[in-house]
Formats: sequence, structure tokens, C-alpha cells
Amino acid sequence: MPTPPIQLSQYDDGPSLAAATRIVDGSSPDALYAHVPFCRHKCHYCDFYSLVDQRDRTEPFADRFELEAETIRGSIDASKIRTAFVGGGTPTLLEPPLLARVLAAIRAIPEETLDEFTVEANPETVSEAIAATLVAGGVDRVSLGCQSFQPDLLKALERWHDPSCVPIAVQRLRDAGIGRISLDLIFGIPGSTIDDWDRDLDAVLALEPDHLSCYGLVFEPGTPLAEKQRLGRVDAIDDSIESAMYDRTRDRLAAEGFEHYEISNWARPGEECLHNLVYWQEGDWLAIGPAAAGNLGGIRYRNLPRLDDWLDGTGLSPVVNVDQPSAVVASGERLMLGLRLRRGIDRAVLDGLVTGHAERQAAVERHLQRGNLVWHENRLRIADRSIMLADDILSDLL
Amino acid sequence: MKVRNFSIIAHIDHGKSTLADRLLHATSAVDERTGRAQMLDSMDLERERGITIKSSAVTVMHEYRGETYELNFIDTPGHVDFTYEVSRALTACEGAILVVDSTQGVQAQTVANAYLAIENNLELIPVINKIDLPAADPDGVSMEIEHVLGLPAEDAIYVSAKTGQGIPELLDAICEKLPDPAPSMGDKLRALIFDSHYDDYRGVVVFVRVFDGSISVGDKIRMMGTGRTFTVTELGRYTPFAQKLKTLGQSEVGYMVAAIKTLGDVRVGDTVTLEYDPAPEPMPGYKEPKQMVFCDFYPSSGDDEGGKRSDFESLREAVERLHLNDASFTFEVQHSEALGFGFRCGFLGLLHMDIVQERLEREGGVAIVQTAPTVSYIVDLNDGSTLEIQNPADLPDMSRVKAIREPIVKIEIICPVENIGDLMRLADSRRGSFRGQRFVSETRQILDYQLPLAEIIYDFYDKLKSITRGYGTMDYEITGYEVENLVKVEILINGEPVDALSIICHRSGAEGRSRAILAKLRKQIDRHQFEIPLQAAIGGKIIARETIKALRKNVTAKCYGGDITRKRKLLEKQKEGKKRMKNIGSVNIPQEAFMAVLEQEG
Ligand SMILES: Nc1nc2c(ncn2[C@@H]2O[C@H](COP(=O)(O)OP(=O)(O)OP(=O)(O)O)[C@@H](O)[C@H]2O)c(=O)[nH]1
Ligand code: SF4
Ligand SMILES: [Mg+2]
Repeated sequence: MPTPPIQLSQYDDGPSLAAATRIVDGSSPDALYAHVPFCRHKCHYCDFYSLVDQRDRTEPFADRFELEAETIRGSIDASKIRTAFVGGGTPTLLEPPLLARVLAAIRAIPEETLDEFTVEANPETVSEAIAATLVAGGVDRVSLGCQSFQPDLLKALERWHDPSCVPIAVQRLRDAGIGRISLDLIFGIPGSTIDDWDRDLDAVLALEPDHLSCYGLVFEPGTPLAEKQRLGRVDAIDDSIESAMYDRTRDRLAAEGFEHYEISNWARPGEECLHNLVYWQEGDWLAIGPAAAGNLGGIRYRNLPRLDDWLDGTGLSPVVNVDQPSAVVASGERLMLGLRLRRGIDRAVLDGLVTGHAERQAAVERHLQRGNLVWHENRLRIADRSIMLADDILSDLL
Repeated sequence: MKVRNFSIIAHIDHGKSTLADRLLHATSAVDERTGRAQMLDSMDLERERGITIKSSAVTVMHEYRGETYELNFIDTPGHVDFTYEVSRALTACEGAILVVDSTQGVQAQTVANAYLAIENNLELIPVINKIDLPAADPDGVSMEIEHVLGLPAEDAIYVSAKTGQGIPELLDAICEKLPDPAPSMGDKLRALIFDSHYDDYRGVVVFVRVFDGSISVGDKIRMMGTGRTFTVTELGRYTPFAQKLKTLGQSEVGYMVAAIKTLGDVRVGDTVTLEYDPAPEPMPGYKEPKQMVFCDFYPSSGDDEGGKRSDFESLREAVERLHLNDASFTFEVQHSEALGFGFRCGFLGLLHMDIVQERLEREGGVAIVQTAPTVSYIVDLNDGSTLEIQNPADLPDMSRVKAIREPIVKIEIICPVENIGDLMRLADSRRGSFRGQRFVSETRQILDYQLPLAEIIYDFYDKLKSITRGYGTMDYEITGYEVENLVKVEILINGEPVDALSIICHRSGAEGRSRAILAKLRKQIDRHQFEIPLQAAIGGKIIARETIKALRKNVTAKCYGGDITRKRKLLEKQKEGKKRMKNIGSVNIPQEAFMAVLEQEG
């Protein structure tokens, strides 16, 4: 008997397995995202879903992960999958045999060999065994969270690692055969100066990464850091200093031969993160593991962010936050994401996104006039000097 | 049968309404058990606040020395804003009961209302109330009455409106001391309108006191002032329950219904006569109450434009409905750049303004944004003409203005002697000029000052109350308009003058007020991509300045797969926020910024 079509809106408020099935079954994603929700310690700025002190749960995690991957494998068209990304949390906190099982489960899904397989790692977790496990598991790219090389600034973030372990981790990964290394930095940490930031840039550049992500610190609501700010115990640094740090980053990385390809991302030519480009070019990606977010066939969803419930289940994870943006909203998102990319949006594509939206068209004109948007090689993009005000511009274009 | 027409007057809360109830009980008009407390306070708001807002007239019968007396009495409000209600009631009477709380003594409205009665040649019976209370000092208070008002202390009657003690003596005094109504001046109908209210079923109900002749159901009447004619459909009196009558005779008090649709068709103080047998002269009327305090009401902003328009319509309905019941406030449609459509309303005073706002919200079910109160100014122009304005934005170009005059009030404060110094400092700081000082008793004094009305409408009364820890009272009376060194302060945002933010104030206070306004604005306006100067100027000359620094950062650092929906929603919120702002001089100004400035200061 054919099952009646499921109304998605029905599942907006609660976790739903039926919605998961409806979204995942028969989908043909371009990418896979897997989430490993374990950390050694919770950093004070972090709003990712991750839990500490879960050593007894890592094995059940691997068991359950395999079940989910298995179910997915049987229900999707895996022919288009080109990239995979394992994020967290701290995936490299898994013991090597368990990490190996997770990587294998992921690799078993796509039909073709992946063009890019990235795993996030925290420097202090990269042992030789972990590096070897990554390589053996088919991983060719590691994104390493450095954040800062200065103990007092790491302390301000309650981020627990010794900066000296970063070069060691990079060396171990390279020795094991990881070809592509990306490093993450955070600027605008309370108490930091332009000189501090220059030293951090010196330190990452010395490690010769292929890719860099530099984020302005965000006081995410609900994090201990935001709470401290609310109580007046820390202050955000002056935004003109933060803006100067950003300009500095752009100048120095350009001089070092990096291409600025997204608001917070720089790469050596050809070294952009293909997986993230799937997000930014509104490709389809599939989520595995608790709290992982996916986007399939125009529907966004998130796996239920509750480790216990997820562990108790089999098959697909129930999903929450199911969202099917309307055509107008979806085209607004494409503008938002397209303009966050430094290459911007092709004129023909842009026409498709603004025609029939008088308000959007007027906003584009207005920002062109003010010099916030510019045409460059027949593509519309945010002017260099206005990147730090991107949200001000993008909010007008939705 | 003899008739006694009298009002009950007092300072607020001294027990007029309770005493009126007690008189109803004592004359058996109301059964002790069925009578609600404060029988004569009928409006919900009156009962809840425990204060009387409108007068009510009642008729009861009383036997005294074998004769039946018809007692027509009017309970009046005690608050300073409602002096006009009291003065109307007094014109319909030959006597008044002056109630003074034996624990509070003579207060500001005791004096003000007693003077009103004396001016109207009324016979006064001083009544010292609340003698059941342990703190009562009836002898001291009757001395105060003698001292301040010149009414012999031994004439005062001691009562408790609560227990009924002293009430028989009071009834006797009413019959014995109050004069008979003056003999008729002629036989043609002359009935004075002293109050009116609106009734959903019958339309306007008019209260009249018949001075000459009589009026009957079916009579065709003419209002001598407005010239309008109506046919009487119902006559009666409240006992306190409505009792229909065929006729109201000479010197009687009662109500009249005559298919009058709106309160605007009736002028209190007008004389009613018969259309086909008119009196030659109307009764000397009394002057119309004048609105002295003004403010704007806007519907609190709806979420979208559509919501806003319908909110305005609800507000309009509520205002029009309320006006049927209270013709003493004025209203006209007002459009503010910042707040959209609303109403500019005029009130008799501050309490009146509060009451209207409360009734609009409660009875009309609309949430209201209220701007800071202002007064009306008279502007003398160079060409010899004059202009009355309440809105700084309406002030003509200053090159055409010869002088600006503002309303001046005489205030009388009664307070404990130890607060005199602080109160004088307060009045001095409000451009007050000292007029005199008198003793009420050894512990209390009357302080007379003259000062601009604009200086007392903000927080003067609150300050007075806090300085005297609640013991001080005040009364004020407009004495006229005087030329003052008044200036229009313009507020400029990014170089553009913003009409809705301009104020009129005394030159001496202009800088301080301007600074306060600019500081508020600075907090309310978001930073923009450019630096925004905020300036206050008098005739183009900058007197205060603030700067909103340029925004250097508004960017989302991370926007990966799981962030997209949330980030988009954040941007949508930013967009909605911008939409609700007013764009002036390429600066987006949120409604809250206008509100912060326009709202009551302090
Ligand atoms: N103990 C005591 N309380 C009284 C007496 N008379 C009035 N009260 C109380 O005093 C308060 C004010 O009484 P009202 O009769 O409302 O005073 P009012 O003069 O009509 O007030 P407004 O109309 O608002 O000016 C009420 O709480 C009464 O219950 C009295 O003789 N003894
Ligand atoms: S290591 Fe990463 S995921 Fe874990 S708490 Fe710190 S920032 Fe969050
Ligand atoms: Mg009363």
C-alpha cells in the first residue's frame, strides 16, 4: 500500500524519523558531513554541539555511526558524492581503531573515490597513530584549529592547548602523508592588539599551510564568553581595531600568494575547500551523526542534537529544524552565500536572482552607488573596503 | 415642601463620596445592605481608583421639624484638574458642605474649592470628617479652617462618614442653615445646564437646575447659547436610582433626555428655555474649561504597515467614543514623521491626561504611546497677528516672530514647615517667583508662587510629593500668558533638522535639555557606515553636539552548512529592523529613538 505523502510542516516542532526518511530516501547528495560530538574540554566561545567526559560513549558512537551509514548507503543515490568532511567536536579524540571504523563507514557510502576528504583536528590530539589512521582511512586534508599562538589569548578563550604542539601536529600529519593542511585562527580576541595578530599570522605562515581560515571572534549567545561579556567581565575589542586586523590579514596573505575566496577563508591557488564550496554554492549534502546538518532537495534539516537519543536508535537519525525555504527565500540565500564568496556572482546568475524583485534590485543599485558593491570581470561582488560590513549589505538583499 | 440645593466639596480623598453615601443611607434612600460603597462613583475607573472624576446629582427627602425637605446634592471631584466640574456644580446650588479630613487638615484643594464657593456666594457648612480615626484632630483642624478661610471654628460639624456619627446633626444643619432657593425672577423657563454625560441607550443625559418656570416631557426646548432646539423625551432625578418625572419645577434639580446625539451639542453653562415661550435673558453662564496641557497619542507600533493602519482606526474609535463621555478633552488628527498617524489631545491638567489615556487603553482596548506633555504658546508675529500653537513644529520662522508668550500659573502649596526650604529651591529652579507665605497651623504653611505652567507639567508634582514625603499638596490656577525668553531648539541628525524632535523651552534651560535629548538619541540610533553628528541648534547656532561613531564591523564570520538558515534569519531580522526605521538624512532612526525623546522626561 502506498504511504501518503508526508507534510513536512508537521515535523517542525519535534524530532521526526519519518521526515528523515522522507528527506534522505532517494536523495543524491554532492557531499557528506559527519559530526563527532566529543571534546576534551569546552572552549568558552564555542556553540557547536559537543560533550566532554564521554570516553565510555566513543565505542557505542562508532557502532551507531556504522548503522546510520549503512542505512544511508542503502537508500540514496551515491553517484554524485565528491567530498566528505568530518567535523565536531573533535573527531581526532576518538581512539584510532574507532576513528578508523568511522572513516571506513563514510568511505563506504560514495560510489566513486572522493575528490576531497577532510577531518577536523585539534593540535594536541594529533598523535602519530592518529595521523596514520587518517591516512589509512583515505583522508587527504586536515583542518587544524590553532586559534592563536599566544598562551594568554588562548586562555582568554578557555582553549586548552599548548601552541607548541601545532608545529608538531603539522609535521606528524605531513610525515604520515596528509597533503593538504588548513589552519584556523581567531582574531579580535579580548585583550589582543594588532601586534599580537601579526605574530599569529607569522606563526601560521611559518607552517606553510595550503589553506587558512581567519575568523573574527563571535560572542555567540548562550556561550560562557557571551555571558561574561553580558556581566561586563570581558569586552569585545574596539571594532576599528578588529577591522584593522582584518585588513592586515588580507594584505599579508595576498602578499604571501593566498587567494581570498570567502569572507573568512584564504587558499593557495587550487586549494580551496571543495566541501565548503558545496555549502556556498547550494549543493546538496547529507548529514551523519548527532547534530549534523544537511541540505537535500531544497530541504534543510538537522539530525537530533541529543547523543543519548541518537545512540538508542538504529538506522537514520531523527531530524529537527526541517526547513524548506520558499523560492524567494532560497534566491535570497543564494545572494547571501554568493556574495560571501569573493568572486561574487556572475551577471547572468544575478539577473535571475533579482529580476522580479524590485526591492532587491533597488538595494543592489543603492549599494553599487555607495561603493559597497562593485562589478569585477562581469561579476558582482562586495568591495574590499566593505567586507567588514557585509551583513549590512546582505540584509538589504534578502 | 422646602428645597435645599448644595454641593459637597473637599480636597481629594477627604471623604465626599463616602459622606454622600452616608447621606443616602441616613435619609433611607438606600438600604444599608444593597448600597454599594461610594454609590455616586459610578464609572469603573472611579471605583477602582477610588476617586471621583465626574459630579453626580442626587435627590433625597428628609424630615426636619415636621417638615419635608427635598435635598438636591452634588458630589464633586476633589482633584486640582477638575475645578471646572466643581464650579459648574456650585452654580446650581445655594450652599456647600466643605469636608475636611480630620487627620489631614486643610489642604490645597480645600482652600481652592472653598474660595470657589465663596466667590459664588454660597453658604458654607464646614464638616470635619473621619473623626473615628485615632489620628483625628478635629479641634486643630477646625482652627485651621477658621485661620485660613475665616469660617468660625465653632460652626464646624464633626462627623464620621464611615460610622455615621454626627450625620443627624449635619442633616439638621443643612435644613437649618442653608438658604431657601432664591425666589423666581420670572415665570419663563430658565434651567441651567451644569453637567452632562453620555449614555449608550439614551444618548446625552443633561443635568439641569431649574431657576425659573418649569419644564415638562414633550416640551420643545431651545438652548439659548447655541440656539439649538430639541424635544424633551424624559425627565427625572436620581434618588440615587433613576426616577422618571413628568415635570421639573422651579428650583428643582434633575436630568433631561432630549434625543441629543453628542456631548458636543450641549454646552455646560447654557440656559434651557421653551422654544415657543422663551425667557428674555439667559442665566449668567460660566466660562468654558480651557485645555492647558497637550500631548499626542499614537497607537503603539504594530509589526507591519497593515497592522499600524488598523491600530490607528481602533484608536480613532476609542477617542471618539470617549469624547462622547468627556467633552472636556480635545483631539485632532496628528501626523508625525516618526510615529505615523495619531491624535494631538488637549486636557484640563495632568491627571486628566492620565485618566483619558487609561480610559482609552482600558475601554478602547488599544495600546497607546504617549508623548511628553506640552503647553500651548501664544506667538506674536511682527505683522501684528497672533497665533496659538501647541507643537514646536508649528512655530513659524523666528524672523517673523516678535515674541512668544507662555501660560503662567499661580500655585499654592500646603506643606509641613520643615519642607519650606526645599520646596522654595524647587520652585526657584523652575523659574518660579515667590509671592507669599502664610501659616495654616504651627506645623504647616501655605506657600504661594508664580511660575510657568510648562515648568510644572513634567515632574513638579512628583518632586513635591517626594520632598514632603506625601504630605504636601498643591493647587494651581492659570493667571494668564506672559512673554518669556523662549526659544525653539531644533535637533539635527546628520545635518538634517528633524521636526518631530524640536522643542520650545526657556533659553536658560535650552542647553541642558538639548544635551539630555542628544544623549538619549545617541543611545537609540545604531551606528552607520559613516559618522553621524547629532546637533541641537537655536536659530542655526549649535548649542550642543554628540557624535555617533562610524560602524566598522557588521559581518558574520562563519557561515557553514549548519549555519545558513540561522544566519539568514539574523539578516532578515536586521532587514526588518531597518524597514521599521525612519530614514532622515540617510540615517536610519528607530521609532524608539523618537519615543525616548518625546516620552515623559525624568
Ligand atoms: N475611617 C474613615 N475613613 C473614611 C471616612 N470617610 C471616608 N473615608 C475613607 O477615605 C477614603 C476617601 O474617601 P472618598 O469618599 O472616596 O473621598 P472623596 O473625597 O470622594 O475623594 P475624591 O472624590 O477622589 O476627591 C476612602 O478610603 C474612604 O473609605 C471616615 O469618616 N472614616
Ligand atoms: S574544541 Fe572545537 S568543538 Fe570542541 S569545544 Fe573547543 S571550539 Fe568547540
Ligand atoms: Mg469622591
